[in-house]
Amino acid sequence: MRRVHFPVVFLSAALLTSLASAQTLTVGLDADPPKLDPALSTALVDRQVMNQIFDKLVDLDVNLKVIPALATSWKVTNGGLTYTFKLKSGVKFSDGTPLDAAAVKYGLDRNRTLEGSARKNELSSVKEVKVIDAQTVQLSLSQPYGPLLAVLTDRAGMIVSPTAAKKAGSDFQNNPVGSGPFTFVSRVRQDNITLTANKNYWGGAPKIDKLVYRPFPDGDVRYANLLSGAVQAITPVDPKDVSKLAENAKFSVLNYPGIGFQGVWFNVTRAPFNNKNFRQAVAATIDREAIAKSIFYDTVTPAAGPFPPGTAAASSSIKVQKPDIALAKQKLGGKPLTFTLLTSPGSVTIQLAQVYQAMFAQAGITAKIEQVEFGTLLDRADKQDYDALMLGWSGRPDPDGNIYDFFVTDGTNNQAGYSNKTVDSLLAKARAQNAMSARVATYNVALGTIINDTPYTWVYFQRNLVASVKGMVGLKPIPDGILRFKDVDLK
Amino acid sequence: MTTTLSKPPSPAKRRLPAPVRRFLGNKLAVIGIVVLVIFAGAALLARQVAPFDPAQIFFADLRAAPSAAHLFGADELGRDIFSRVVYGARVSLSAGLISVTLALVFGGSIGLIAGYIGGWLDDLLMRFVDALLSLPFLVLAIALAAILGPSLQNTMIAIAIVTAPAFARITRGEVLSQRERDYVQAAQALGAGDGRLIVRHLLPNISGALIVQTSLAIANAILAEASLSFLGLGIQPPTPSWGSMLNAARGYLTDAPWMALFPGLAIFLAVLAFNLIGDGLREALDPRGHKS
Repeated sequence: MRRVHFPVVFLSAALLTSLASAQTLTVGLDADPPKLDPALSTALVDRQVMNQIFDKLVDLDVNLKVIPALATSWKVTNGGLTYTFKLKSGVKFSDGTPLDAAAVKYGLDRNRTLEGSARKNELSSVKEVKVIDAQTVQLSLSQPYGPLLAVLTDRAGMIVSPTAAKKAGSDFQNNPVGSGPFTFVSRVRQDNITLTANKNYWGGAPKIDKLVYRPFPDGDVRYANLLSGAVQAITPVDPKDVSKLAENAKFSVLNYPGIGFQGVWFNVTRAPFNNKNFRQAVAATIDREAIAKSIFYDTVTPAAGPFPPGTAAASSSIKVQKPDIALAKQKLGGKPLTFTLLTSPGSVTIQLAQVYQAMFAQAGITAKIEQVEFGTLLDRADKQDYDALMLGWSGRPDPDGNIYDFFVTDGTNNQAGYSNKTVDSLLAKARAQNAMSARVATYNVALGTIINDTPYTWVYFQRNLVASVKGMVGLKPIPDGILRFKDVDLK
Repeated sequence: MTTTLSKPPSPAKRRLPAPVRRFLGNKLAVIGIVVLVIFAGAALLARQVAPFDPAQIFFADLRAAPSAAHLFGADELGRDIFSRVVYGARVSLSAGLISVTLALVFGGSIGLIAGYIGGWLDDLLMRFVDALLSLPFLVLAIALAAILGPSLQNTMIAIAIVTAPAFARITRGEVLSQRERDYVQAAQALGAGDGRLIVRHLLPNISGALIVQTSLAIANAILAEASLSFLGLGIQPPTPSWGSMLNAARGYLTDAPWMALFPGLAIFLAVLAFNLIGDGLREALDPRGHKS
């Protein structure tokens, strides 16, 4: 009996898997998304999942242009103080609640006011959200804020179901309800998040039936799971695996520019890096080309500032700093420099830290590497309890999101404790300008001062690296790095 | 055993004490000693033996295969693996020796006190030791190293703490069995104090078991240090340790297998050497099997 049963069981199991895999797409991420709530989320990886569950007022295209989403059109009037959005009609949340102007007002107000909302800063210029009619919403600003539309292409512009949000309260993140192309089904922490296709999606039903996200913090494990077929797509891909996957006929790799940057912070509030010469000396030892080549296999671009090539504010007049050991020694002026370089564990960060250490050593600078868990790193960065630390930024579509908070006095991402009145006034001026060309000019004047002061030194711009099985098609390379699965199909 | 006894011992060997003679007659143990001497020599003379600074980066030699320039190849940052294995011997051997010495001193003292004094103190100390022994060796070491923070010194403390209970148990057991022997009673009758009794009579008689345990514990400690370094809890980069080299090699198993092979081989040989020496010592020092 046993002999007969086993093949039957195996056969039916194999049949079921092949049927299921034709419709299920499993994606390997580098972390378990902590909070699936547009207001409370602070992690990049949350956005990967939330972009499928929620619709946003506006979205980005592959050229970082703001395009219609829930809002079919918009008008900016009153010198940049009034934004009027026309909404798509007939949209419903997956729980049946209609998505009208009142729901949009609820969503935006929730992001602005919910306790613990991480969106308050992004929406701080918004004074009031008004419902004009069922399909029209108007935002009044207290001062002009050029980055507003770009901010609404991300979590700040995601609209949650008022019914579900009111009912769940702060527990909403465990059962998020939106109007997006996929609907939340279930999640098991540190194991998977399961979404199912929203067959009634206003933009047309997705081509895949089920979307599953699985966290694999280790790049080698993520890679192994793609090779074994346990997942059909992974992001990010470790740079060392990119060429291997590209050569493999069963897989394809998407390698497209990102909008973030990576580099090193210097704590300007205490010795040794309250000395500008020391900061400039360390920055001068770094060979950015060699790092891009040796550690990243040229999957990154050497960086000169916070604006990656291809983004609105990138300027060709700001050049990538070449390594100059003589200059570094001159800046040191014969004084010894010893400090601790803080970093988080991870094969690439450890390699990078050791390469920095060797580069600093060429100018006689001694750096001790200290690895702390990422949460601790952020905590110590906020408390300015470090000498120098390796930390980057995933990037924002508007230039403001890559510079303002980092260098304005007391900015939330100003880990250096840097303060310069000229920079403060220039960054505020750029925010209030509406024409992008004028803003870009202002940013680049500010950047000249920042680069000379060196509270941060830029090293490289990361690119978005996505690997998938060959049969996965329809993924658009949108530079914010978020994979939108609505039009993706498995062949 | 009978065969070794029936062979007429050579004049040179005749002059050596019996346990040393038995140890030298054990080929595997001698191999262990030879391997250990090579490792210890490399560790002590690392500066002379290693062709390069272990942290020196050669961008031209990223993941270079073994060659005349790089005997064991180069790692993901172009550093010479031979030099790193040689310097890694320092970390591994000192971690093994220092942590086990600490464990021997503290564990042995606890066992001695518990066994010699006995009573409620014995119960108290041994329940504490039982509690430590009830936790798996490596799990406890990882927990301690994580609490203390990553550094070589903290790794050695963590390994010492998890190794000590075994020494306490063995010492107590030996002391208990010796305490009631006639020679101890005789020494007491002659007026020997506790201190003299322990140092002159008990310790020499229990040292055999402790020596064997020490050499086996060093093998375990080297393995534990490599495991903790593999997990990033050991010595911090760029100082090489066999365990952290293995961890870095993990992502390059198919492209650059030499990155994992040589540190792995070093761990294997060092652990094997101490185990062979431990086995040799056990046979040599066991008075029951060998009457001479």
